Amino acid sequence: MASDPDAIEAERLRVLRSFDILDTDPEQAFDDVMQLAARICEAPVGMVSLAVGDRQWFQARDGVDVSQLGGAGWFCDYAMAQPGVTQVADAERDERFAGDARLAGTSAFRFYAGAPLVDDQGLALGVLCVLDSRARPGGLNETQLMTLDVLARQVMALLERRRALRERRRSDEAATAAVEAARLVTEKLAESDARFQAIADSMPQMVWSSRPDGHHDYYNARWYAFTGAAEGTTLGDAWGEMIHPEDQERARTAWRASLSTGEPYEVEYRLLHHTGSYAWTLSRAMPIRNAAGAVTRWFGTGTDIAEMKRLEQAKALLSQELSHRIKNIFAVISALLALSARQYPEAKAFARAARTRISALARAHEFVRPHTESSRPSLDGTTLHAFLCDLFLPYDDDAGVPRVVVSGDDADFDDQAATPVALLFHELATNAAKYGALSAPEGRVMLSTRRQGDRYVMRWRERGGPAVRGIPDAAGFGSSLLALSVEGQLGGALEQTWAREGLEVVADIPATALAPRRAAGTFM
Amino acid sequence: MTARILIIEDEALVAMELRFVLEDLGYEVVGTAPDARTARALASRGGVELALVDIHLTDGATGVGLGQELGEDFGVTVLYMTANPGMVRHGIPGTMGVLTKPTDEGCVRSAVEYALHLRRGEPAPVVPDGLQMFG
Repeated sequence: MASDPDAIEAERLRVLRSFDILDTDPEQAFDDVMQLAARICEAPVGMVSLAVGDRQWFQARDGVDVSQLGGAGWFCDYAMAQPGVTQVADAERDERFAGDARLAGTSAFRFYAGAPLVDDQGLALGVLCVLDSRARPGGLNETQLMTLDVLARQVMALLERRRALRERRRSDEAATAAVEAARLVTEKLAESDARFQAIADSMPQMVWSSRPDGHHDYYNARWYAFTGAAEGTTLGDAWGEMIHPEDQERARTAWRASLSTGEPYEVEYRLLHHTGSYAWTLSRAMPIRNAAGAVTRWFGTGTDIAEMKRLEQAKALLSQELSHRIKNIFAVISALLALSARQYPEAKAFARAARTRISALARAHEFVRPHTESSRPSLDGTTLHAFLCDLFLPYDDDAGVPRVVVSGDDADFDDQAATPVALLFHELATNAAKYGALSAPEGRVMLSTRRQGDRYVMRWRERGGPAVRGIPDAAGFGSSLLALSVEGQLGGALEQTWAREGLEVVADIPATALAPRRAAGTFM
Repeated sequence: MTARILIIEDEALVAMELRFVLEDLGYEVVGTAPDARTARALASRGGVELALVDIHLTDGATGVGLGQELGEDFGVTVLYMTANPGMVRHGIPGTMGVLTKPTDEGCVRSAVEYALHLRRGEPAPVVPDGLQMFG
């Protein structure tokens, strides 16, 4: 224990405070002990006095009015510093107090006997004492001394018990608070769980959740209602069995991919309906991450898209049917022209030219109409280059090698651009076949297309044909069609150069002109 | 070279024009059928060497099965003539190939000649433009 008086004082205060007793009301247990001590010692006054800083505070007292005394040097200060019982037989004759002016006025007390209250660490905290207004030269007898000593320890035991009770009360309070807090948390969880359940169950969508390892641990009521599965039977990995056998592998692969990458999951599959048939559903899931970014849970939804699929299919069917009819009309018009021309032999050349133009238009529209896998005209897709290669097929040489070579940047084109694009290249090719490079067996045409910023430049160069002798005298209807297509419909510039080695045509159009619908952000 | 040809096409004008083209080329057109039933009736009379078969007929997309039937049961050489070649892209047993519509006289002439050469086991030139052969 510290020997520094200040440190001792501080420690004493700390210990006293731990009893939670300072400046409290009298208590029966302390009063009983104190009164027993006074009775046995045949003294009119008894006290349990505690040394609180620079004062003596009387926790229990009998026969005295003051509840505390300030300052040092009182009987108790002496008694506290001594082991065993300290006695002052007659204060007036005792050299320790004889000169103390403070006692002069309180000569009511001439006899004092006190036993220190010492805790288990050996620290004196106060005194159990008895006082008498008479001097008692003989002091206390053996029994009285022993009683005072024993009762002092009893006071100490009461103090210790008080501390133990207080600590237990505190830990009880803490335990109660913890229990209450836990109860509140549970209540809140239950409440939020109930709220989640209520929301999840009232949704028109199927809702599920999964652990980060992919183990499904929750499905809402809608899922069970839709699939007809018994509650709990699709937990874990069993969900796969609810999916159409043809879609299972695709769904599982997508799910595994999302689990390993943390990317959102989205897949369409046929889900077993409680009626026993399969219905198209869209299944999606998002990962929930903790503060460290790790996935803690997946929340997923399943949406019945059977109706949407039916509408989609109906729409696709309708638009295919429509474009099939449009194509038929091209064929009918073409046949009508041919049949009409039969009566007028002089119109045969005219009819042939008109029919090839109509045919080019039909081909172009075939490329831009909505397609299914089986209606697609070319396996190479429906881009501009695919269309051009198809359009120039009739000009291939005997070995099947293209004589119009298409190169450069490919592009998408839509139905609005189909007519001018088809007419432009149909006219160029038929002209080349009549007068230009394609009229000679060795002749070739290089058609290069280039995306230059927001422009799309198509360059047609003829080589190997008969030498060009300047600008043709009269621009025919074909030339008018070229200008009309490029400048009128595509909003571009057309430049024709009749170089000696072959015709060169440059059509410089806005890149957006090929697919104006897409550029405007609207789709059919 | 002459031959007996059956036209199966639901658009009467297209069928008529095709008939004139083939007759101008010297072929005998045994008939034009707008549906599978009529086509079967015409083929069952016998003697048809080549059939030009559209896929979409007045009774639906019956051309695919009809072509196979004509080829396998009636011994007719079958060329599909369709705007939807994708429907027979992977080939149909008993048939020879597909000609994509719209087409022109030149293509029809060379495709018909080519098919007849093959039918008769004669040496045939290169496959003409616009004709896609199966197998």
